[in-house]
Amino acid sequence: MTPALLVLVFVVLGPVLGGLLAGADRIVSARMQGRVGPPLLQPFYDVGKLFQKRVRRVNPVAEPLLIGHVVFMALAGVLVIGGGDLIFAMFVLALAALFLVLAAGSADSPYSNVGAERELVVLLASEPFFILMMAAICKVTGESTFSGVMDSPVRVAVELPGALLAFLFVITIKLRKSPFDISTTHHHPHQELVRGLTSDLSGRQLGWVELAHWYECALLAVFVVLFFNWSAPLGILAFVVAYGLEVLVDNSTSRAKWQLVLRSAWAVTLVLAGGNLLALYVVGV
Amino acid sequence: MSWTVPVLVGLPTVVGAVLLVVRRAPLRNTLVVVASVLVTAASVAAVAVLADRAGDGGAFFGLPGGMTPGYAVLAMDVVLAGTIIGFGVAHRRWFAPLLALAQLGIAGYLELGHHLPHLEADRLFWVDNLSLIMILVIGVVGPLICVHALGYMRDYHRANPMVRGRRTVFFCLLFVFLGAMFGLVITNDLPLMHVFWEVTTLCSFLLIGYTRTTETIGYAFRALNMNMIGGLGFSLAILILAGQRSGVDLARLTAEPVGGLLLAAVALLALAGLTKSAQMPFSDWLIGAMYAPTPTSALLHSSTMVKAGVFLLLRLSPAMTGSTVGTLVAGIGLLTFLFVSAVAITEQNAKKILAYSTIGSLGLVTGCAGVGTAQAVWVGAMIVIFHALAKGLLFLVVGTLENRLHTKDVEYFDTLLSRMPRVSALALVGIAGMFIAPFGVVVAKWAAIRAFLEVPGWTGAAFVVIMAFGSSLTIFYWGKLLIKILSMRAVDPVERALESRVTRFEWVTETTLAVGVVAVTALLAVLSDHVVSPYAAAAFPSGDAAAGVDPVVVGVTLLAVVFLPILAVSAWRRGGFDQADFYAGGRSTRPDHAMGAALGATRSVTLRGYYLDDVVDGALLFRAGSLVCGLALVAMAVVGWVVAA
Repeated sequence: MTPALLVLVFVVLGPVLGGLLAGADRIVSARMQGRVGPPLLQPFYDVGKLFQKRVRRVNPVAEPLLIGHVVFMALAGVLVIGGGDLIFAMFVLALAALFLVLAAGSADSPYSNVGAERELVVLLASEPFFILMMAAICKVTGESTFSGVMDSPVRVAVELPGALLAFLFVITIKLRKSPFDISTTHHHPHQELVRGLTSDLSGRQLGWVELAHWYECALLAVFVVLFFNWSAPLGILAFVVAYGLEVLVDNSTSRAKWQLVLRSAWAVTLVLAGGNLLALYVVGV
Repeated sequence: MSWTVPVLVGLPTVVGAVLLVVRRAPLRNTLVVVASVLVTAASVAAVAVLADRAGDGGAFFGLPGGMTPGYAVLAMDVVLAGTIIGFGVAHRRWFAPLLALAQLGIAGYLELGHHLPHLEADRLFWVDNLSLIMILVIGVVGPLICVHALGYMRDYHRANPMVRGRRTVFFCLLFVFLGAMFGLVITNDLPLMHVFWEVTTLCSFLLIGYTRTTETIGYAFRALNMNMIGGLGFSLAILILAGQRSGVDLARLTAEPVGGLLLAAVALLALAGLTKSAQMPFSDWLIGAMYAPTPTSALLHSSTMVKAGVFLLLRLSPAMTGSTVGTLVAGIGLLTFLFVSAVAITEQNAKKILAYSTIGSLGLVTGCAGVGTAQAVWVGAMIVIFHALAKGLLFLVVGTLENRLHTKDVEYFDTLLSRMPRVSALALVGIAGMFIAPFGVVVAKWAAIRAFLEVPGWTGAAFVVIMAFGSSLTIFYWGKLLIKILSMRAVDPVERALESRVTRFEWVTETTLAVGVVAVTALLAVLSDHVVSPYAAAAFPSGDAAAGVDPVVVGVTLLAVVFLPILAVSAWRRGGFDQADFYAGGRSTRPDHAMGAALGATRSVTLRGYYLDDVVDGALLFRAGSLVCGLALVAMAVVGWVVAA
């Protein structure tokens, strides 16, 4: 497929994949809790309804910031898929996440503010890993783009087992799953009424947040495929397993303090991903 | 061509001398504005004249009529040392005078004993594209800050009646400093460059101590002491080089990788660069320097003077590349970036946050200079340009806020968008330029990581790990500041009127700088192709060509840079604030930021940012970073000693 076509596929199918994942997540979570759960397409119905609702605007900047959040999140994916520099895309991803923080912070209310500051902690905790992961992938393959890595004869996951393990840990934070859902619980099984980041958002504003999250999930799936660059089916299988583990962890743990999130994420990143990268240099790739 | 030196160095110096006797404010205002326009025009003209010849290794020239400075250099050394000794004696501080004496001794020994191989008259000055960048930075940002200071200092003295006004001295020093900076970036003769170097040190010392309180005098001497350590390193390097075949010719010294005694001299010059750029363990002085009036911080301590340090390091880059000295310099710069970025998270004083961020950006440039590849110095030069514009703008905005809100505490900058929308928009351009724009920092970090991935051995991996953690830390403190600025609430007319009291000088200069940030972002490709890439290619002729600029990268970052300011302006245009109340757990709330409390009382809501106190101990980290970098410096000394022996 040409890059342009791939970009189109990501822009259109990215949210579909993300939404389906959310639906599956809710069903699996419900089964874990002894419930039947909603239909698979429930997240799409929910977001559709959010976009029909009247917005209760707390200030005039929150919604543009949220649209920025969606646009930059999609852009990060487009850059990855469309042949942009992989490491640069990580910075765009961080920028996208920052826009959500700013949208929440602009409400200047106690709950939103705590959510925004905590989401910054989440960013601080997870960002080093994503940069290191991409740097390591680029280093082992000698490539800088998605197609370059996919065509590389180097088997990324084999070279970077430490980074892959760290990835499993860090996406728990990125997906805002328990025990690392310190800024907001993003998922319905937790049944919380006040949800940090999104406390002062309503109607289609929440729809934007959800849409961006779907893009983010799709992007994380692409990252897993990057690790298993020699076999796409294996990559997809790995992602399904990884996501299943996330749901299990989400439903079997309680929320940790932000201090623990930050410390553990940095330790895991430094030891597993940093160690992995250092080992590669020492053996001389 | 030879007229450029007298004009660039002479014009600001003469203006400075005149300003010393101008006591009436209206006359001073006119004079400063006119002189600023002239200085900018002179720098642009000089660049236009030199541009053709500066590419490909640069052009060499002398003074008009083939004059040589002769004993003037020594005379200047005597004046400078005398001034420093005078101040030291007056304040009973002996360290700086001691260093000044040592430097004077070296200069006297070399000059009077005829041990100094003088340069040919037509090699005194050296201009390449890096010099041109510096000339434009000094000639455009510098005068703007001087004009801004006219408004700032008036309000500053109104707000601080206890401080005795010495504005004649203040403006004199600003202009003299500009002259010295111009001299510094075009000089090829190291003893002459050393004079300019010390003039900037002295200006910084005098400006930090402007208010003449015990506290500021202490900080002034701290800055002086640390910069004099670097100055002594500079002198010792000249002493070594005087006995070498390359002599005190900077261009010859830095033409290719060096070893032996020359490498020791390069290490000593690098020490001077590290102190001037406030790299750890010398970072302390720049934090203390924040007690100077804000235009000083903008001009000397972010946009220009501290850039002299990284300018010298970039100059030395081809000489130290591949050597242990280069690796250690890179390590010091990147570790400084990592540590100060962490410390900045715990800081609440806006000027100190900007200072830490400045030290961090300079650390990145230092890292690039130490790594020493065409791509790395390309990144370094780009950071110099963007940082000068964006950080200069941010300091000026903080100066404006400080005079309106009477605080530098970022916690009081909250809901700024509602209270001062136009100033907020300017601040957002500055922050976006610092942290999102190409080479603001985000793309610089990306390009730096790309460059470091090419570094062989474990140091490359270590550099990438440092970058990954350091850059995430910067997101945290900039994000926190953005939340403060972007938050909104209903404000009363009294608060809205604050903005109308911002002076014309401030509006004009800050808007110009903001336009500059956006323009440079948009023109990135042109800048890269015609200015920065030729510099990098000339500095490292054997290496790979420097990276070009990806139009995708430019597009994405330009979008990111203008997004927030446009948002702010549109919010301001819409005026008024008739929005819904915020959520406060079911309690009643009011748009002016109060909420119902027990027994029918109403309390105003105060929100604080996170400072991560339980995880990040700023003071401890600062000491730890200084220790680690200090050890690296000791290692550098050992290496220098070994290669020299």
